[in-house]
Amino acid sequence: MRKKMEERKIDEIFDSIVIGAGHAGCEAALALARTGNKTLLLTISLDAIAFLACNPSIGGTAKGQLVSEVDALGGEMGIIADKTAIQIRMLNSGKGPAVQSLRAQADKNAYHTEMKKALENEKNLYVRQGEAVDIFVESGNKFVKTSVGLIYQANSIVFATGVYLKSEIIIGKTREYVGPNGFKNSSHLSDSLKNLGIKLLRFKTGTPVRLHARSINYQEMEVQKGDDDIFSFSYMTDKPIENKTVCYLTYTTPTTHEIIKSNLDKAPAISGEIKGIGPRYCPSIETKVVRFADKQRHQLFLEPEALDTQEMYLQGFSTSMPAEIQKEMVHSVAGLESAEIMRDAYAIEYDCIEPTQLKPTLELKSIEGLFFAGQINGTSGYEEAAAQGIIAGINASLYNQNKEQLVLKRSDGYIGVLIDDIVTKGTNEPYRMMTSRAEYRLLLRQDNADMRLTEIGRKVGLVSDERYARFLNKKEKLAKIEEKLQGKVKIDEKMKKLFSENDENLPKESMKLRDILKRNNIDIFKLNDAYHIYGNEDRHLLELINIKIKYEGYLKQQQEDIDKMLKNENAIIPNDFDYSQAKGIREEAKEKLAKIRPLNLGQASRISGVSPADISVLSILIKRKEK
Amino acid sequence: MLLQFCTQFAIISCMEKPIVSISTPLGKGAIAIVRMSGKESLPVAFKLFHNSKLTSENIKPRYMYFGNFKLDEGEFEQCLMVYFKAPFSYTGEDIVEFQIHGGVLIAQKVLESCVKAGAKLAEPGEYSKRAFLNGKITLDKAEAIIGEINAETEGELKSSLQVTNGRLAEKISTEQDKLKNMIAEIEAGLDYPDEIDELDLKLNIKERLEGVRTNIKDILQQAQSATYLKNGINVALVGKTNVGKSSVMNAMLGENRAIVTDIKGTTRDAISESFVFEGIKINLIDTAGIRETKDVVENIGIEKSKQNLMQADLVLFVLDGSERESAEDRQIENLLKGKKFITVINKTDKKRVVPKQENEIEISALTNKNIQKLKQKILDMVLEEKIDFNSLVLTNERQIAILQEAKDILDEILNAKENTLDVFAMLIKKLWQTLGKITGNTENEDIIDLIFSKFCLGK
Repeated sequence: MRKKMEERKIDEIFDSIVIGAGHAGCEAALALARTGNKTLLLTISLDAIAFLACNPSIGGTAKGQLVSEVDALGGEMGIIADKTAIQIRMLNSGKGPAVQSLRAQADKNAYHTEMKKALENEKNLYVRQGEAVDIFVESGNKFVKTSVGLIYQANSIVFATGVYLKSEIIIGKTREYVGPNGFKNSSHLSDSLKNLGIKLLRFKTGTPVRLHARSINYQEMEVQKGDDDIFSFSYMTDKPIENKTVCYLTYTTPTTHEIIKSNLDKAPAISGEIKGIGPRYCPSIETKVVRFADKQRHQLFLEPEALDTQEMYLQGFSTSMPAEIQKEMVHSVAGLESAEIMRDAYAIEYDCIEPTQLKPTLELKSIEGLFFAGQINGTSGYEEAAAQGIIAGINASLYNQNKEQLVLKRSDGYIGVLIDDIVTKGTNEPYRMMTSRAEYRLLLRQDNADMRLTEIGRKVGLVSDERYARFLNKKEKLAKIEEKLQGKVKIDEKMKKLFSENDENLPKESMKLRDILKRNNIDIFKLNDAYHIYGNEDRHLLELINIKIKYEGYLKQQQEDIDKMLKNENAIIPNDFDYSQAKGIREEAKEKLAKIRPLNLGQASRISGVSPADISVLSILIKRKEK
Repeated sequence: MLLQFCTQFAIISCMEKPIVSISTPLGKGAIAIVRMSGKESLPVAFKLFHNSKLTSENIKPRYMYFGNFKLDEGEFEQCLMVYFKAPFSYTGEDIVEFQIHGGVLIAQKVLESCVKAGAKLAEPGEYSKRAFLNGKITLDKAEAIIGEINAETEGELKSSLQVTNGRLAEKISTEQDKLKNMIAEIEAGLDYPDEIDELDLKLNIKERLEGVRTNIKDILQQAQSATYLKNGINVALVGKTNVGKSSVMNAMLGENRAIVTDIKGTTRDAISESFVFEGIKINLIDTAGIRETKDVVENIGIEKSKQNLMQADLVLFVLDGSERESAEDRQIENLLKGKKFITVINKTDKKRVVPKQENEIEISALTNKNIQKLKQKILDMVLEEKIDFNSLVLTNERQIAILQEAKDILDEILNAKENTLDVFAMLIKKLWQTLGKITGNTENEDIIDLIFSKFCLGK
């Protein structure tokens, strides 16, 4: 039996301990420290802090939104991404504001260095190398024991262990008991979590080869350049990101497919060697070739890993084939005939927890004060991790202060959608954020993340005075422009010119500037050129207003949907509600409800297997309990 | 799970919109009551109810007012209205009740008008539920209400199941699947923009949506009808002159509408009158007697008779049982080829000389013999299978409202000049979810599954 904690020597006491310094852990630790908690950030390797273990990029569809939301709450990812970006593109421009997302190629080395700097410069934050091997919870106190026998005490713990739990790297027949990129893994913590009664899952993911730039023949490849004049992820960044590098597009060939097909018996993912569940959106190249056999070729992108290295990341070429076959496969790709592989592609299996064991605050339901964020929750992606990290950090801090914790709703942001999805529905593969998962995406745009979330970040104490001042200033400017747009203009030469140039019919009488914007062919920039409403230097602000007015009708529709949803979201289910005694709810639904223990009727209604009739009965039972 | 759609448990979420339902049993009955409950009941009621002296300001609770209820097609229906002011009502909310003439048809129309004016159809047990939530029912009754909701929901589930198995829902599912495919294609492109050229997408979505609109309109038509419920059954009376068509009609109507004389060719214009039988409207079209004549006016009437005959759902071929069949009779019989018809042997109060006919019924308009039997036979022949009125009407109310909503969204999408892809996607998804209220398929995960099974995506 374990010795009582009091009988042991406690080496140091913190308010909170964050285990793991990946993208979730960094945000959690910063959020905790910045809200006044003495915080320990414990990591297996200081050299692996904020390591971009897979692709050297931040953002992308839906993920760009997540980064801006983390930023609006007062997080760090956006700032560092802006600082270390070496190429930036706006995806989906021209397809409407709701689905536009920023994607940046980040300098992998700089990203790590800059984030490490930010951590090191944070007062209240103690960054230490060490492996957590055991967790004890005694009379409200939490203890972390490290592999060298040190014992730390804290009021709350955030688990952000990424893919390190009992991780194994698989290349062909080779299995290595290590973490990503060969870092040391965490071999004891899983068992400790199990001892605490936490249910674990085993997931898998993978990463492609890295090639030496000098060995690549770019002649045949399509160059992919960055966009000019693009805004940043962070609302704190002032100057546009400079494009310092390009990416390349190439394709697999029929030979590649032949090599793969004739070696399928050696592919661990196909042969059944790998048992972990992999993500559908990140399939290995062998999976693609098998599942989409009729496809003649698959596209591959070459992305520079950093400015100070020759390593190139081969996006789309994730595999766990034996190393010698990987080489053959790479050489069959157009332009890679004599490419030098610097790092082999690999698959990695790891333990994670079943996320339905968490509340929407990311606190464990069964033990208070334990929070979970990032890939340990069965998600995938740096941005998804950071998003959970900041929420776990905020809530651990609120927990320490004995305050009500923060739950972001699905209508607040992609972060709300992400967390609600995993804690309510769970996931049977590494969960990736997609814009199609967000039902209110017309309102949840990257350009208005600050408008949606800065106040919330301020309230929890994470938004700095400087950030808040910027936010207020922006709001004021927006109000001013909107006010000006309320002004009416006469039908004069100016208007005639604007309307005829844009193929619009003249109105019968004078009209509000704002209403001119409702015309299909006239946007705010054309209007501004004609009427000089506002200086052109704040293009971003003008664009915001343009969207607001042009999409007014649709935004209103979504807002109505949200208002409907909020009724249920605000119907709180008491913590101690006894589903076993809930007469009238079907057995199947009772079981599911008792397992998930939803916070409110809205969450309850999203559990699969719970019908509208069950919800309606539940609503009555709740009302009755209140009386 | 069939009823597992998140957007649809509007029970709690739509408290502002008044709920409405037909409170009296459907089918026969001298009067029917349509009841509306909710804060906005009175404003909605006054959009529809007209009494020159009455306004929402001067109306007194618990008084009965006479007026006209404005139906959809600009028709008016005489109506009594009672207002119960909150909290002194069954639900504890403002309630308005309309008393109207009995029968499925009118009640249905009144109900539809209320929905169009801003009410929503009540969910199972919703009145009782609101009553409970507003403290009008004691806690002891809560258990009973839960039972009630479950029972009604079970009922709904059953009828939904029937619908799901039926052709209509099958058709809706087909359209929904088409939409799902479009959504998946669009979403795949949006979530994986770098791979979109690779997707070989032909985004001829608008064209495909046109197809969906055509089909939805079609389905809507069918749902609206189970057509006879809404528009009634059209029955044409044909026969040579003076066999007593008008008398047969009058006997069925129960009063003298058509001119009945002994002079041949009295009915020169087609006369249409309706009555309600077993809750279904039957439109009788009395045609001019068909005979060879030089009278121009009568000839026009005869041409019209032939037209009416072609358009009718059923033809009553009237024969004078006391006369021998003539060439004229046989000529008319020829016109009936391919039509559903009943041979009505009239004047059987006299001695019958006409031989046995195909699908005949013996009646006497004079003595009312077998008139009820004839009415029943009309229903049986047109409706063929027995229809469970309650379930049919209940599912239809919902379906029609939902299908109408779907059609409106389609119009919105297709009539818009230019929409960015994000709005386009939003509307198609809304459409898909709307149809899902009938089929029960609105699981977003289905779309994501489809994206990944259809396209090869990801790094």
